[in-house]
Amino acid sequence: MEYAIETFSLTKIFSDWWGRNRVVAVDGLNLKVRTNEVYGFLGPNGSGKTTTLKMLLGLLHPTKGKALILEGDATDPQINRRIGFLPEESYLYKYLTARETLDFYGQLFKLPARVRKMRIEALLDMVGLKAVANRTVGTFSKGMARRIGLAQALINDPELLILDEPTTGLDPIGTRQIKDLIIELAKRGKTVLLCSHLLADVEDVCDRIAILYGGRIQAEGNVRDLLRHSDKTEITTGRLSPAALEKIKQTLAEERAEYTIGSPLDKLETFFINIVARAQQQAVPTSGAESRTQISDFLSAKTDERARREAILNQLVSASPSDEQTATTDTQNTQPQPAPATPADEDLLNRLTEQVDSKPVTMQPTKAKPEPATSDQPDKSILDELTGRPLPDKKNAHPGDSANA
Amino acid sequence: MRSIWAVAVNTVKQALRLKIAAVFIVLLFVLLPVMGLKMTGDGTLKGRMQAFVSYGLSLTTLLLALLTIFTAAYTLTSDVKDKQVYTVLTKPIRRFQFVLGKLFGVILLDAGLLVLFSVIIYSITILLPTLLHADNDQIAQVRNEFFTARASLTPVEPDISEELNQAYNKLKQDGEVPAGVDENPIARRNYRDELARRIGLRKRAAVVGEELLWEFNNVKPEDPNQDLFIRFKYDVAVNPQDLSIYSKWVIGDVRQLRLGTSIETPLYSLERKDLIRTFHEFAVPADAVAHDGYLALAFLNVPLNDTVVIFPLEDGLELLYKADTFTANFIRAVLLIFVRLVFLAALAVFAGSFLSFPVAILLCLSVFTMANMSGYIGESYHVVGAQPNGLYSYVLKPLIMLLPEFDQVSPSKFLVPARLLSWSALGWLSFTTVCLKALPLVIMSLLIFTYREIAKVIV
Ligand SMILES: Nc1ncnc2c1ncn2[C@@H]1O[C@H](COP(=O)(O)OP(=O)(O)OP(=O)(O)O)[C@@H](O)[C@H]1O
Ligand SMILES: [Mg+2]
Repeated sequence: MEYAIETFSLTKIFSDWWGRNRVVAVDGLNLKVRTNEVYGFLGPNGSGKTTTLKMLLGLLHPTKGKALILEGDATDPQINRRIGFLPEESYLYKYLTARETLDFYGQLFKLPARVRKMRIEALLDMVGLKAVANRTVGTFSKGMARRIGLAQALINDPELLILDEPTTGLDPIGTRQIKDLIIELAKRGKTVLLCSHLLADVEDVCDRIAILYGGRIQAEGNVRDLLRHSDKTEITTGRLSPAALEKIKQTLAEERAEYTIGSPLDKLETFFINIVARAQQQAVPTSGAESRTQISDFLSAKTDERARREAILNQLVSASPSDEQTATTDTQNTQPQPAPATPADEDLLNRLTEQVDSKPVTMQPTKAKPEPATSDQPDKSILDELTGRPLPDKKNAHPGDSANA
Repeated sequence: MRSIWAVAVNTVKQALRLKIAAVFIVLLFVLLPVMGLKMTGDGTLKGRMQAFVSYGLSLTTLLLALLTIFTAAYTLTSDVKDKQVYTVLTKPIRRFQFVLGKLFGVILLDAGLLVLFSVIIYSITILLPTLLHADNDQIAQVRNEFFTARASLTPVEPDISEELNQAYNKLKQDGEVPAGVDENPIARRNYRDELARRIGLRKRAAVVGEELLWEFNNVKPEDPNQDLFIRFKYDVAVNPQDLSIYSKWVIGDVRQLRLGTSIETPLYSLERKDLIRTFHEFAVPADAVAHDGYLALAFLNVPLNDTVVIFPLEDGLELLYKADTFTANFIRAVLLIFVRLVFLAALAVFAGSFLSFPVAILLCLSVFTMANMSGYIGESYHVVGAQPNGLYSYVLKPLIMLLPEFDQVSPSKFLVPARLLSWSALGWLSFTTVCLKALPLVIMSLLIFTYREIAKVIV
């Protein structure tokens, strides 16, 4: 099995009862997710991510095209048996307790009572809800519900895990746990399709990504390939002394190279914004929210203070923290107009940028393996229980192996 | 099967934990005992018990029917609206299993609650004579006329078609048929219907001094030592002064009189005075029945009266005899309620499979109301249906026939007059209600839900 998910010019057009108000939510999508890869599915609000997932899972019928999931149809129980799905929000039965919830889903997989009980306890432990397992999930906070939702998606030890914004509502520890979990599952030969807005998350865990806008893929590929500017060289070092810096500048001047020196940016974010901005510039139709960084006029009227701070923040996001302007393209209306800086603002800005500057350089050019933060790490033994077998290390495994295993 | 069961159990939990069921349960727990102690009926012990069983069962039926409709419609529509289906239907469960699970869950809940409340009603009924310190006469009456299940025989309607033809031809010859009636098929049918009604009425009416005779075959009482019961109601042409009719009755094998043979079975005769337009009952020893199961009843409109006495068509006269126990009859009556709830569950699941909650409820309540007045609807249909009309014959009539007839066969109709609800009658009713009326709804809901775009928002 080469692809865990494959779509062929998948299209979804919503129209109202009379056939009017057509919304092209997904437009000729050809998505290919390989087996045993972590695939990031990105896009601004309303770009059609969730709609795509619903079509993959048979909850919506495509207007045109076809979706294959594990080389089959999502309405086939044999296929469903191998899939775990966490929807956008955790849609749970509010009147069931956490334990009952998992038991209910376990029963749908026809798991024997003993296995079910074991997995439920393991999962409750893993998502940190053991202490509240007998409370009804209606009383849970958003993040707690999210955790039960995640546990629910894992109860069948799925081959393919589909996560729609798994980290919404989660605290940083929970977010980290999910990321670690995804990496761990990938190591064990699973495939993960991850929708997320949190670009840093995606960047950390995904092998490949696609960026969706207006229902079409605007860019797709290996995370590092997409982000690499092949005509540029990046050197990341620890903090350098001014003398060393001076030497390097000299060398570069001899090479007649154009250069910027500063702390690395949150690169994927820039890239993401670029893609969206470019799509907007080309007037790609979208049925979702337009990305506007400006605050509505009627709101800014009374909140001068906020507008000012907003502008500063926007500057921080869109502009390089150092003196040079980088990648962001100028677009007429989408770029925030920096508020005319008052001396006080400049001061604040400087202090902020200074802080950024003085931050130790953390961005690694290679995919970051998360530090083993002991308490946050998913319990390996639980995962072993779930899978029931130790799997070959993902990086060494031949892609075909895991499919046959 | 296991997934269906899981969904069913989940549905029961939903109904219980969301307190949908609780409202109804509390209401019944409070109302039933109160009714047992406060309902007086006509003041006699029998009247009280009839009133209690009748209203108790009706109330239980009504509340459970509403509960069924609400639960079944809610459980399906809320899962779609609150999107729990996203996680459930992406598990290895087929959509039809999901819908069946919901249906079984509701039926399971109904079964449980119905058992609970029938046991309560039954216990109160059995204990009522003791609780009320009834005297022995009343207890005896209750034993004979309430705590029993009696088969009922109604007179066979005489075949009057020959008579009708003769009368019609005679009228035609005499030129008394209004002009144009004979040529127009509709007018002729109406005219002849009216004529038939009059001839039928004449057969059930006795002028002063006249006798009416009913003959029954196949009267098979369990035991010749028990009693037969004659249940009747009078209608009159002119109201008598004290609204009562004097009568003389002869019961037995009257063929013995005619043929002049020796008398083998006793003939009983009695005189009575009864209020008009209410049901009355008297007992006759069962040995009056001839060995071949023949029994005749003769009614004489004695000259003390000065009006024509009419026995109404449907329920003017009935012969009753004990055929089963009260307990067995009660159980069958409860099963009849259950069958009804099954239909309603199927209906509400059907509505919930493609409508939003309020619309589904509206649909179900409309059908429920119509089913409770099916007799009335049927009658009005007949009035309209007199004109041959495509819409009525091919659309409305089949639809009306698909409605269950809750009013026609309610459990109180059997338990109050202690009338036998036989297994075969129950079987037939269950078959028509479940297989012919509920099953198509279930199949439709399965199909709709299977092919429906589940994540499409209905606004
Ligand atoms: N049932 C529906 N009926 C009509 N339009 C819909 C329906 N579901 C989604 N849409 C439209 O389709 C577009 C894509 O929606 P979708 O939920 O797929 O976006 P998304 O990428 O998941 O966004 P988000 O990041 O906000 O979750 C939106 O414009 C939305 O309004
Ligand atoms: Mg979404």
